[in-house]
Amino acid sequence: MAATLTGEPGRGGAVAPGDGSHGKGGKRSARQRRFGPSRRDVGDRASRPGFLWAVPGALFFTVFAVVPLGLVAVLSFYSWGGLGSPQWAGTANWTKLLHDPVMLRSLWLSVLLTLLGVVVQTPLSLLLGVWAAGPQRNRAVLSAIYFVPLLLSATAISVLWRALLDPNFGIPSQLTWLFGNGNLFGHQNTAIGVLVWVAAWQYTPFHTLIYQGAARAVPEVLYQAAEIDGAGRVRKFFHITIPQLRNAMVTSVILMVVGGLTTFDTVLILTQGGPGTDTTITAYYMYQQAFKSFDFGTGAAIALLLVVVSTIISLIVVRASGYDKMRSVNEGL
Amino acid sequence: MAASCAVALSLSLTACGGSSPSAGSGGNSFTVLVYGDAGNKVERQIVDEFNKTSSVKAKLSTIPGADYQQKLQTIIGTSQAPDVFFNWGGGSIQPFVKAGLLMPLDDMIQKNPKLKSSFLPSVFNTAEIGGKAYGIPMRGTQPVLLFNNKSVLKQAGITSSPATWNDLLTDVGKLKAKGVTPIALGGGDQWPTLMWFEYLYDRIAGPGLFQKALAGDKSQWSSPDSRKALSMLQQLKAAGAFGSNFDSVKFTDNGSTKLLATGKAGFELMGSWEYSTAQSIDPTFAKSGLGYAAFPTVPGGKGDTANLVGNTNNFYSVLKSTKHADAIAKFLTLMYSDEFVKAQLSIGNLPTTTNTPQFLSQADDPAYDQYQYGLVKQAPAFQLSWDQAYPPNDITPIHTAVGQFLDGQIDANGFISAMQNLSTAG
Repeated sequence: MAATLTGEPGRGGAVAPGDGSHGKGGKRSARQRRFGPSRRDVGDRASRPGFLWAVPGALFFTVFAVVPLGLVAVLSFYSWGGLGSPQWAGTANWTKLLHDPVMLRSLWLSVLLTLLGVVVQTPLSLLLGVWAAGPQRNRAVLSAIYFVPLLLSATAISVLWRALLDPNFGIPSQLTWLFGNGNLFGHQNTAIGVLVWVAAWQYTPFHTLIYQGAARAVPEVLYQAAEIDGAGRVRKFFHITIPQLRNAMVTSVILMVVGGLTTFDTVLILTQGGPGTDTTITAYYMYQQAFKSFDFGTGAAIALLLVVVSTIISLIVVRASGYDKMRSVNEGL
Repeated sequence: MAASCAVALSLSLTACGGSSPSAGSGGNSFTVLVYGDAGNKVERQIVDEFNKTSSVKAKLSTIPGADYQQKLQTIIGTSQAPDVFFNWGGGSIQPFVKAGLLMPLDDMIQKNPKLKSSFLPSVFNTAEIGGKAYGIPMRGTQPVLLFNNKSVLKQAGITSSPATWNDLLTDVGKLKAKGVTPIALGGGDQWPTLMWFEYLYDRIAGPGLFQKALAGDKSQWSSPDSRKALSMLQQLKAAGAFGSNFDSVKFTDNGSTKLLATGKAGFELMGSWEYSTAQSIDPTFAKSGLGYAAFPTVPGGKGDTANLVGNTNNFYSVLKSTKHADAIAKFLTLMYSDEFVKAQLSIGNLPTTTNTPQFLSQADDPAYDQYQYGLVKQAPAFQLSWDQAYPPNDITPIHTAVGQFLDGQIDANGFISAMQNLSTAG
């Protein structure tokens, strides 16, 4: 309690669930003395959900995530072609994967695609989101239009772009100065470029929506104060908007990372992992091994590797961004 | 995706855990499982025909779409396994034969020799594994032919389809000079690229090289004949035969066929289904503008000029544990009946029975079917596509290797070692 009583600013939101069960009265009066009543305090006074509330979610998570994950882990030590019972294979699947250049490269490609996705989509959706947060009606209409790609299935979008980018009958055949011979799917760099582009086309609207919501929640008073201090548009954007969107940005980036690492459908339809194995990302490689080559043991091992790598990357993002602390819930921070 | 796959994996694992393989349909019927597409019309008709006279009834069930092989693989070891099922012969049933699930049909054939003699031998052989017959042909044959756009060839001053490899190279030069892509290739799908390998290997080395390699003699891939085929393929590509963006073209979205149909390309090597694909793009072109011929000969090659590659046919195989072998034997005799042949021809399939020629005049394009039937009948060897002759787990490595070789990512040594890394039938 000592920290709370001394009133370390900005700590107010970080009360751990356990803290709510005792010593409430003292804390409230201490806080009220220093800061006066705030919305946050009302939340603290209300009864906190007990552990029971988490049971349905935890149950679902156990049945549909933890148990299958355990089974996949077991399967990765078996050799199974889909016929009869799986045969014990020891660590054979794993040693095979460790010496498989395609496997190692697929992990790198997954990370690369994810990074490129974040780098391309974040600035775009940030600018669009802040712009769309404005009050005019035309922005509302445009925001609704931007949102359309997200309503289409990734499969439909991939088929659409495959047709649009056909070298002989699509856009490249008209814009030869830009696309040359149009062999976009025949080189690694351009094939990855197409994947990044299509993902951005589909998902930027979604992240725009996140930023739009967050930008609308930025208190107007901050901008008014800055204006009095003589801050211009750009200054306000960099010194008020962006810091205020910090949590939204972390949320958006984590979603991009998770989505990027498990990208599959666009690769399946646009490149089929090609040219050669140049766009064979881990999720696609897993599909290839399990469902095209009927090697479910290896597929399971790849799936497990992907889970491990994704978890590590997510943890890094969470740590690096301070998302785990969830600070800056008070105005002006 | 990772999560959903994990669920799928685990569910099928539990599903397959306890049950022991046995034929599904109890009582007085057996299940016939087929690939779900337009061809079902005939299969339904045949099942109805059979049920009219038989006390043991046949029940038709279909698996739609391209997931057929996956789903079949999942259920064949379980109590839901079909008694009779559609397949591609060769490698597609090899894992089942290995697992001891399929019934050799030799006893049935001994009782009724027509179950074998009514079919063209080059086709029937495809479903023989270890000298035993495991399949009866049941749909249409699909040889790979060298198609062309007649008017494009004419404009480039080419009067007939190339008879030899050198003719082909000359034609490539002429078409290139006219500013069209000499040969349309759906490299994005990879399997169209494989067709060039299949024919060149066959023409240069004869069917033996591949058959030996498939049986386990991996040294075949590094033989002089193999290297010669690879170098000729490189020569063709270097001549600009496929244009510069074939990796971005697909057959499956009609891209390569459209190149041919719209006059942007002169030739395309493709299965006999090219005709119906062209028909869906431009019926007039399919009828009067689409030319077809056999693959050219390679001077000095050991392979017979009349050899074919492609999908020999589809087959019915029978599960060993079925309780209705006698009824099934009777059902299979319908596969060479006149009704069957007529029905198949009416939907554009070309059956491979010996009585087919009598009914060819009833086909949609009699001349085209007559030509194909003649080729298949006279072919000393009909090589099943490599990706179907090998077991399913080799499909991806084969496709990757041919794609990488043609676009220059790996050289001949790289290709040879990729093929030597395949698992084999041996």
